[in-house]
Amino acid sequence: MIGPLVAAHGAAFGYEGRAVVSGVDLAVRAGDRVAVAGPNGGGKTTLFRGLLGLIPPQAGRVERETARVGYVPQHEELDAVYPLTAYEIVSFGALGRFTGKNRWWRAMPRAEREKASACLADVGLEHAARTQYADLSGGQRQRVLIARALMTDPAVLFLDEPTSGVDARAAASIGGLLTRISEERGVAVVMVGHQLDALRAFARRALWVADGGVLVGDAAELLAPEALARLMSGAGAPAAGGRAS
Amino acid sequence: MTWADFVEFFAFAIAATLVAGVVCPLIGAFLLVRRTGFYGVALPQFAAAGVACGFAVMPVIEDALGVHLGADEMASGEHSALNIHLFWAALATFAGLAALSVRSRGGTETARIAAAFAIASAATILFAHASPVGDHYVHELLRGEILAIGLHEFDTLAAVLGVVALTVLVLHRDLVLVSYDRDQAVVLGLGVRRLEFLLQVLTGATVATGVMTVGPIVLFGFLVIPPLAARAVARSMAGFLRWSMALGFVSGVVGLVLSKELDWPLGPAVVVAATSVWAACRAASPWIRGR
Repeated sequence: MIGPLVAAHGAAFGYEGRAVVSGVDLAVRAGDRVAVAGPNGGGKTTLFRGLLGLIPPQAGRVERETARVGYVPQHEELDAVYPLTAYEIVSFGALGRFTGKNRWWRAMPRAEREKASACLADVGLEHAARTQYADLSGGQRQRVLIARALMTDPAVLFLDEPTSGVDARAAASIGGLLTRISEERGVAVVMVGHQLDALRAFARRALWVADGGVLVGDAAELLAPEALARLMSGAGAPAAGGRAS
Repeated sequence: MTWADFVEFFAFAIAATLVAGVVCPLIGAFLLVRRTGFYGVALPQFAAAGVACGFAVMPVIEDALGVHLGADEMASGEHSALNIHLFWAALATFAGLAALSVRSRGGTETARIAAAFAIASAATILFAHASPVGDHYVHELLRGEILAIGLHEFDTLAAVLGVVALTVLVLHRDLVLVSYDRDQAVVLGLGVRRLEFLLQVLTGATVATGVMTVGPIVLFGFLVIPPLAARAVARSMAGFLRWSMALGFVSGVVGLVLSKELDWPLGPAVVVAATSVWAACRAASPWIRGR
């Protein structure tokens, strides 16, 4: 059996020496679809940033078997003052693999330019290549960021609330796109979100992050309305530093 | 004075204005999109304060150490004097950059930059006051009268800004990504801290050298205004950088014409020209961007 792409073993993540979330045990394998949910301030983003490698673990360890990691931030986090076009944003995805003379001269080879156009086509935005990111709708911006992640040839895709700030129709469309990417390419997907119905429909496994602890389970069970009602009331909530699954 | 005489007498000043007009807006474009445009005003003031500080402090250091460091040559216009000024300007500029980079609790970044500008302005005046020679030199520097630029100044400016331009043009995608989406740059494995440091060095080198050669007013004008004009008409990031350089060059040419024809000091003439170019770009923006 192929080993996990990303694995956390008893990991704790936080800032300035203070753990925000601890006791994280998780293995993400090829084709996995993992939802990360929980109340605001519970530590979802901290866990996400830790698994992604943006912050180091304060305890335990995180192993990544692949450098092919695609990252999709919230589209609202990116500053619209930059006059970047959709194509320019997608082509950033190639920067991590420049080799030979291109490593120093940073020229975009023709194959990479064609790949950027193909990635935009993959998310249905080939017509918007020269449109400025700031002029796109929320759903289109999120698709551009997904195309940028695809440009890295990801084995695992990390998405931070990809349906935040988009209407229900665009959210459903993004969900469908991610399912297709996961099934067709065998890409593992780890997605933070607030829209629990959409997460339950998309993910196979779920992480409930609250009060500094993490609960891991089957997405259909853990994110079912009854289970959520229990978690929200505090019954069955994960304990900090501990793990239930 | 005919145009032929003007070009013959002020060849280095003209060339320096045009080189600064092309390269400074490239750095200014990054200051604008990183929302640190005020750096374009505060940092040149730090550089000027550094030069004034050099005039005031160098004689004291020489007396204290009993060594000759060149204090009495600082207003001579010799190459060695320029090097001393550059040292002090660079020292103060990088100190200013370091101070502005420190994130402190309370207060906004804009407020910190405003405070830094006030402090640097006061320091410039007080240091200049402590040295009569320095007072005259710094006054000329701040006034933006750059027509007396010689070969030494032009050599230095062209060499430093040439390296800055080449570096930015080669690394512009990396520098834009680090500025735009730092987390993505980390995930891609780019040397994020190295790139951020490099951008600071390029900014500091441009400001320190620019202040010492073309002066703070020309530098203000080129760092801040052409990128604003370019933002109004650019349809892509690459286009934004190209427009910034082109509009800086046009501002330099128009500024030189205004200075020659109206007998204005070149510094303010460049700012007036850049502002006119900006207004024209704002007016033409719907037409250019709508094509």
